[in-house]
Amino acid sequence: MHAATHNSPPLAHRNWQLAPGLVFSGLILLLTGGGLLALFLRADSDLAALWQSAYLQGVIRFTVWQATLSVLGSLLIAIPVARALVRHPSFPGRSGLLRLMEMSLVMPSIVAVSGLVAVYGRNGWLAELLQWAGAELPWNLYGLTGILLAHIFFNAPLAARIMVQTLERVPANQRRVASQLGLGSWQLWRVLDWPALRPVLPGLAALVFSLCFTSFAIVVTLGGGPGATTIEVAIYQALRFEFDFNRAALLACVQLLICGGLWWLVFRQNRHQAMLPDQSLSVGAHARRPDSTGWRRSADQALIGLFALFLALPVLAIAWRGIPWLAGELVDSELALWGATLRSLAIALPAGMLAVVLTLALLAATNALKPGLPRSLASVSGYLPLIVPPIVLGTGLFLLIQPRLGIQDYGLAVVALINSLMALPFTLQVLRGPFQANSGSTLRIADQLDIRGWYRWRWLQWPRLKRPVTLALGYGTTLSLGDFGVIALFGSPAQPTLPMLLHQQLGSYQIAPATGTACWLLGLITAIFVLLSRLGRTPGTSGVNHA
Amino acid sequence: MMNVRQMLRTAPILLGLLAVHQAYAEPVLTVYTHPSFAAEWGPGPAIKEAFEERCNCQLRFTVLDSGGAILQRLRLEGAGTSADLVLGLDTSTMETARATGLLAQHELSLPELSLPVDWQDPVFVPYDWGYFAFVYDTEQIDNPPESLEALVNAPDDLKIIIQDPRTSTPGLGLLLWMKHVFGDQADERWQQLQGKILTTTQSWSDGYFSLFMNGEAPMILSYSTSPAYHMAVDKTDRYQAAPFEEGHYLQVEVAAVVNSSDQKALARAFLDFMLTPNFQRHIPLKNVMYPAIDLGDELPDVFDRLIEPSRALMFPPEALRDHRQDWVNEWLDAMTR
Repeated sequence: MHAATHNSPPLAHRNWQLAPGLVFSGLILLLTGGGLLALFLRADSDLAALWQSAYLQGVIRFTVWQATLSVLGSLLIAIPVARALVRHPSFPGRSGLLRLMEMSLVMPSIVAVSGLVAVYGRNGWLAELLQWAGAELPWNLYGLTGILLAHIFFNAPLAARIMVQTLERVPANQRRVASQLGLGSWQLWRVLDWPALRPVLPGLAALVFSLCFTSFAIVVTLGGGPGATTIEVAIYQALRFEFDFNRAALLACVQLLICGGLWWLVFRQNRHQAMLPDQSLSVGAHARRPDSTGWRRSADQALIGLFALFLALPVLAIAWRGIPWLAGELVDSELALWGATLRSLAIALPAGMLAVVLTLALLAATNALKPGLPRSLASVSGYLPLIVPPIVLGTGLFLLIQPRLGIQDYGLAVVALINSLMALPFTLQVLRGPFQANSGSTLRIADQLDIRGWYRWRWLQWPRLKRPVTLALGYGTTLSLGDFGVIALFGSPAQPTLPMLLHQQLGSYQIAPATGTACWLLGLITAIFVLLSRLGRTPGTSGVNHA
Repeated sequence: MMNVRQMLRTAPILLGLLAVHQAYAEPVLTVYTHPSFAAEWGPGPAIKEAFEERCNCQLRFTVLDSGGAILQRLRLEGAGTSADLVLGLDTSTMETARATGLLAQHELSLPELSLPVDWQDPVFVPYDWGYFAFVYDTEQIDNPPESLEALVNAPDDLKIIIQDPRTSTPGLGLLLWMKHVFGDQADERWQQLQGKILTTTQSWSDGYFSLFMNGEAPMILSYSTSPAYHMAVDKTDRYQAAPFEEGHYLQVEVAAVVNSSDQKALARAFLDFMLTPNFQRHIPLKNVMYPAIDLGDELPDVFDRLIEPSRALMFPPEALRDHRQDWVNEWLDAMTR
């Protein structure tokens, strides 16, 4: 006994769980607060007059309106797709489709927009097909239609993916009973699916709402004109071209209030658990659902097929145009593409790793804290980067850091740091569930056996976390890889990253190379996801979670 | 202990050593510019090589993502900026830049310029220029409108792509063009034009690449020089600019010395070099604009096949400084009404 108390396991003191997370969350609060404050300190015009301008009110109304519609659209499509996917736990290409659904979130929007226009635009594939059939495209892509289409393209797969995971967690015995009772589709929905989905829906809706609320490149390109301006776009315009720090800071606060309020509600209900997929697919383990036969089967197949087409076509369009150029040029070792790829990875990999480390520290701290203000702050801090626009964070930091350090040398490190903060909301969602998955009794036994500190992490947590960590790393890395906003502010485009190279090429009539770069960027993102999901699946270490 | 006399005796030696040191450590001239200038296919790399051959210095481009961003960065950094020279501002951002007080006079006697307007400015030196124009796809349109008036009155099934005057230089250019031609009626004309605007993009490249090149609209707001690139490099006559009777709005791109720079002499030497053929010959096809001096035979042939506007329209810079915000708000009102 004597020896045990003195040789306690490494890192077992409570502070090791608490301190890093608290320090990080404090830093995040400080950075966002500081960023905003720096803008306000630079402000010099009349905030009250600004607030009353009709234009601003219109912008706020439109932002809320399009985000609400996008949430409805995404969820209404996601629910039937998710149910269809759960009813059919094994068909060829299912796991490919699930990967594609995970990827949709991180696709750089300028690339996605180009793909969407190539398929659904006035001269796109669909229009050609319809023309051949003697019909006309029934919509005008530009305006609310385009914004909704793109937002559904980004968010419906994400929502459906999370729902699939949630539905698959319904215990097998419940399914068996339902199967024996011979319940129909509607009854199954009421008895099994809806109760399973209900707890995740508020958090999911909040996530999709925040993502659409803060949407930028899509709104700008597909919005049609100043009638379709979101708050994020208005912030960009105010900061970038009007030098109107007041307006930017005010708008950022409005955004913070609306989205932050929403998250606060969700947190209060404690319904934000495990929202992102952890790739723990249970294959074929479920009782056969009675609603997956006959005409329903064909309907499901059609639905899944359509959804897969909806996701895959824009990606194919990008590949279709990009690959010929890439194939012709890739052998050239002097290509700007190589340097840009290396620089992108040099920013994205540390950013991804930092995001994972920050997430684990934050989770450890929230776990170790009792409910109360510090715990709420630690929970909320991880979501701030989703609702405080990166350009506000960036400009604020710029104003804070620049006079002291001079930005040139710190540029890339700052980019990696902000990128990792931006990934936090997503990595948090991936890791939260698995991190908290050990039951109370397991932990009590572990305490009795003195499996604490490092040993608890190594033998209890890590086996469960390995796979989600690789997915979180994937999200963190690829989000940073596609980032243009932050790098545009801090980077030096003489040495561009891939998204910068893409923008430069677009700005200089280099259309063919640009399609090549877009395709390459997409390929790289796919490769990272596939590679990491393979890594996470190495046999023997990850069996705990989904035996 | 060194007394005062000894110190005075060693001072010239120390200063001499310092001078020798500085002569050997090449001075660095830091230029803030935008990507289309500094990119590997832009004029930047060739110009850097040509200037470094004669200046005993290093030319370093710090590339910001647009002309607006250059001004933004300069304002944020203030007198602590590491820029010695800014290159890539234009006639619409000039006055805002001048008002920061961060720029120095060029103190040069400029050579004979080949601009459509008379240029007398103590701070800004022009390096290229171009007209805003609507570029159209000849495979989709046979008879493009022949004036701004005709465009405004055209049926709404003629679709055009424009850029946002709050975020894009050509976008602001069109705003000024409309204002110059229609004056007080500009907002009514904008409302007439609205039905034809397929979309308003944030930047020129978003519209040109994602939309125009995808065939989304047959006409886009761009430069009268854009077809030169397609003709000379892409070898196609498919995209042409439509000449408008009222004349075309002019954009002049400029450079200026930064006041807080400790390399002002070098910066002025660069401005001097900027108006020589060694700099200017890279402008036509690499920046796809007109050179600021007469290049004679060196001007690529395709430039003879571009439209030649009857009038170059331009507001005096002060008018822009005083009214730009109002005009943009007027446009916003007209477009969101």
